Amino acid sequence: MFILPPPVIVIVTALIGAGFMAYRYQSRAHSIALGAAVGAGAGIIGALVTMVPLEFCTFEQERTTLDLALGIALMLVATSLSLAVLHDLTQRVVGSKGLLASGETQPGAFKGRSASVTAFVLLLPTLLILAVFLYYPMLETFRLSTLLARLGAPRSAFICLDNFTRLMTNTGYINSVVISFTLAIAIVILSLSLSLLIATMAYQPIRGGSIYRTLLVWPYALSPVIAGIIFRLMFNPTAGVLNHILDSLFGIRVPWLLDPAIAPWTVILSSTWNIMGFCILFYIAGLQSVPKDLEEAAAIDGANVFQRFFRITFPLLSPITFFLVVTTTTYAFFDTFGLIDFLTGGGPVNSTSTMMYEVYVVGVQARDLGKAASQSLVLFLVVIGVTILQFRASRGRVSYGA
Amino acid sequence: MSRRITFLFLIVLVLTLFVVPAQAQSCTADSPCDIRTWIAFTDFRLDWAKERAAEFTEMNPQFNVVISEYTDYEPLLDAYTLAQEQGNPPEIIQLFEVGTQFAIDSNWFKPVSEIINGREEVLGQPVGFDDIIPVVSSYYTIGGDWSSVAWNTSTPILYGNMTLLAEAGIDTLPTTWQEMEAVCEQLQPLVDAGTIAGCVTWPNHGWFFEQWLAQQNELLVNNGNGRDDRPTEVNLTSDSALNIVQWHQDMYDSGYYVYSGVQRDWTGTVQSFSSQQVPLIMTSSASAGGIVSSAEETGFEVKTGTMVYDDEIGWTGNILGGATMWITDGLDAEIEEGALAFLLFFSNTENSADWHKVSGYVPVRNSSVELLQSEGWYDENPNFLTASIQLGESQVTPATQGAVFGTFVETRDIITQAIEDAMLLGGDVSEIMSAAQTEATTLLEEYNLLYVE
Repeated sequence: MFILPPPVIVIVTALIGAGFMAYRYQSRAHSIALGAAVGAGAGIIGALVTMVPLEFCTFEQERTTLDLALGIALMLVATSLSLAVLHDLTQRVVGSKGLLASGETQPGAFKGRSASVTAFVLLLPTLLILAVFLYYPMLETFRLSTLLARLGAPRSAFICLDNFTRLMTNTGYINSVVISFTLAIAIVILSLSLSLLIATMAYQPIRGGSIYRTLLVWPYALSPVIAGIIFRLMFNPTAGVLNHILDSLFGIRVPWLLDPAIAPWTVILSSTWNIMGFCILFYIAGLQSVPKDLEEAAAIDGANVFQRFFRITFPLLSPITFFLVVTTTTYAFFDTFGLIDFLTGGGPVNSTSTMMYEVYVVGVQARDLGKAASQSLVLFLVVIGVTILQFRASRGRVSYGA
Repeated sequence: MSRRITFLFLIVLVLTLFVVPAQAQSCTADSPCDIRTWIAFTDFRLDWAKERAAEFTEMNPQFNVVISEYTDYEPLLDAYTLAQEQGNPPEIIQLFEVGTQFAIDSNWFKPVSEIINGREEVLGQPVGFDDIIPVVSSYYTIGGDWSSVAWNTSTPILYGNMTLLAEAGIDTLPTTWQEMEAVCEQLQPLVDAGTIAGCVTWPNHGWFFEQWLAQQNELLVNNGNGRDDRPTEVNLTSDSALNIVQWHQDMYDSGYYVYSGVQRDWTGTVQSFSSQQVPLIMTSSASAGGIVSSAEETGFEVKTGTMVYDDEIGWTGNILGGATMWITDGLDAEIEEGALAFLLFFSNTENSADWHKVSGYVPVRNSSVELLQSEGWYDENPNFLTASIQLGESQVTPATQGAVFGTFVETRDIITQAIEDAMLLGGDVSEIMSAAQTEATTLLEEYNLLYVE
């Protein structure tokens, strides 16, 4: 039994949407009726898109409050997304009638009605490939995340949002979220600062500089799996070469893979080493595009090396830094997985089990497709969130030198 | 015009290339049928399997047995699961004992009893399954029928570096937990002096927990360890279970147990024994071949003994471990016959005895044991007899027969993790184990929901 009949739920969402948009349009001196219509439409779409596949299950009486809250949150998110789309569409329709038309054509845009068909036809091959390899798997992931499903099982069972609510109360999973962020932040900071330092040094006109530059890029050519195996041998607490050196020099042996507090650093150091070649490559390329005359002018004006670097070179490198922050974050979240698998296997005591590695453990090793799907959706949301944050934070600070 | 003809000609050529080999053909010596076999060994055991495959192919040139290797049982099963999903599974895989129920439930395999269908011989290879030793047949037959062909069978045993032990004045191997603790105490001066890293090691792997549970005659799952009926509960909080995990914690805390920090670390633990870092190791009897030969190279004496047990509770028996060979369902009848014949050849009296000699796995046929005795093998290599004695003297109870349930593979990982938590994080063992129990039971309930009608 539902606590509210589904039609009532849809109507309530529609009313909320209508009220909200009517208020917004009024305060911006647009038509209130149009606002209410747009809001109601978005509310209906938002409620139906989320709740029809879920069969309104979060509103069943036997569900927990957490289920209910998560269901309502989903509906509101879907509603606001469709609000944005609907609002944009109405603006276009109303605009073409001349009511709100801006009258400007964007440069590079196709002109006329048939032109948009041409544009669509040209985009079709790409869209088809995306549909097969991205959108369909994405929809399938959404479907799986609401199921109790096992790889190779003859049946599956619909379990509403249980996969998600269980994640929210699972301390092990919350722990892996913390680990993912810690690893990502440490890897980004460490790899970018070290790479910039090394790139600046390797860029100096010294004898055999090109040889150094080539050698520095090599670590990136090594697959994370190979890197993982090599580091596992090197970091081995009893027989590893690293502890052998530390022991003979300082008389200490570090439990690299045994201590839950140290193992994450082993992963951070190894992945930083692995990704640094990539960052150095881009920084060297970036340094080549820094105009020499600016540096020379500053030098004549009496700026020292550090002033020149922090006032001129570093700001001019900001597009590259931003690009590297985004790619290194993506690397830290998704690509460290192979290295972790071979270096620590997520251990000890799950201290290096990142969200991506958890997806592998749950989905492939434990064959639990439903839980893995819900985890990968959470991971997806996190990465979208982090990317949006990065774009916002870097706005106005990245100079493209135009 | 000529360009168009060339184009058409090319198309026809390409099509013929694709179509001609795709035509269904019977297996002949000129175009032999592949029998793809996946096994979980990458060392000398892989070489041994490849040699047998070559011998079989020579005797039956209409087949070509292709052996592919995986690093361990778990990744092999993962790869096979994906191959099944993609519709291109190999003909034969090696599957570890705990996967038995899952394999039956998956319907991916054809029971070998069904293929044999009462025959005494398949393509000239005798069947003779009544020759299989009782401990193996009681584990793998369910309702008297064989689902798979027995191959590698082992049990965990104790290996001692007698040269190192003698330095501490020890000349016999411990047989109980209590004796082992005493031995470890005696070895402590060697640890303090930095000669050795610790007293004993074994891979942190749920298998050892299961063995100790069987020794204490305790069930892992309800309904007679899953042998009377499908189990509904995993029992990780029994007195025995807590006792075992507590012992792990104590052994680790006192510094006697050396943990490599990596779960399921079969190679790392053996390495630390072979490099004389640790004088005692408990691991599969299948490592006997490798351990004995590397000890001879390094120059120390090795002796094997039975797996230690808790003297306060007593010893009922040990469970076998290892794997069997499964034949994929839905093969062409001719290939299916070839696959079965290969497996029968693979595990016949001579090969089973030879397999024991190179690896240390228990010979699975009575006739192989007789053959080895008549050759005087055990008199020359007493270390190789321990496993057979340990399994042979085990009482047959539901506990020592071993558990059968669909989520055994995953439950093993949960147990392994719980033991690691108990050692590295410390804390109350009963809390750790009851959390593990909840996790394992939920998993089993979900499995039963999806698999059981």
